[in-house]
Amino acid sequence: MNGPEVAFFALAAVAVVTALAALLVRELVHTIMWIAVFFVDLSAIYFLLEAPFLGVLQLGVYAGAVTVLLLLGIMVTRKRIFSREAATGIGPAAVVLALLSFVFVVTAVGEFPSSPQPIRAYDPAALSQNLFGPDGPWLLLLGLVMLASVSGAIYLVREGRE
Amino acid sequence: MISLPPVGFVALSGGLLAVGLFGILTRRNFVLLLVAIEVAMNAAILNFVYFAAYAPSTASGLSGQSIAVVLVGFAATEVAVGLAIVLALYRVKGTINVGQATDLKL
Repeated sequence: MNGPEVAFFALAAVAVVTALAALLVRELVHTIMWIAVFFVDLSAIYFLLEAPFLGVLQLGVYAGAVTVLLLLGIMVTRKRIFSREAATGIGPAAVVLALLSFVFVVTAVGEFPSSPQPIRAYDPAALSQNLFGPDGPWLLLLGLVMLASVSGAIYLVREGRE
Repeated sequence: MISLPPVGFVALSGGLLAVGLFGILTRRNFVLLLVAIEVAMNAAILNFVYFAAYAPSTASGLSGQSIAVVLVGFAATEVAVGLAIVLALYRVKGTINVGQATDLKL
């Protein structure tokens, strides 16, 4: 097992543990702390995959903006920010369905080689040329969706609307 | 050039999808639901990034990374709209428990 493989398996274990911890802890603020660690961990995996642009994007958008937005959502809807979440019963059906989805995905990978495969690195400059060239319509679609969603969000939270 | 096993990546994204699905099915707090959806969405984005690097042709590889960039933007947009819904729900109901948002039920 080579060095990058060891790093990948360590980062993968941290990702699964932090994602589970974020959903299982009772205090919502702790959830946000765990999910921030999860986002930083995924960013490290992107750097390991030699996709530095996506790694930085993950740090800025997810670990930065999304975490702060979620924290703000908790702050404005809680009288005491450290109040505990009411326990919800963990039904066996949810656990079984989640495990089934995991088994379904993992058993579908028989056609992929289990031996390590080389990773191709891409220059961020080549990625940006691709984004503003052949994949330009995707970026345009993102801009249109963002415009519509910002309008919708402002409509939802405007004053005087009940 | 480094080497990584494809099976490990698919297992990781499958595991993250399972964790996200578990959260979506069991949590009742709207913010926790958003967190669970983000975990599941990150599983999909991870697959795009890995298979972009694994793809045999250069063009399709870069397309995978382009789609991942766009998906990160979509996810951020989704959180913004989700939090607007959280605020609207809190204003109307005084709680962000989705179990109490039943006004559309017949």
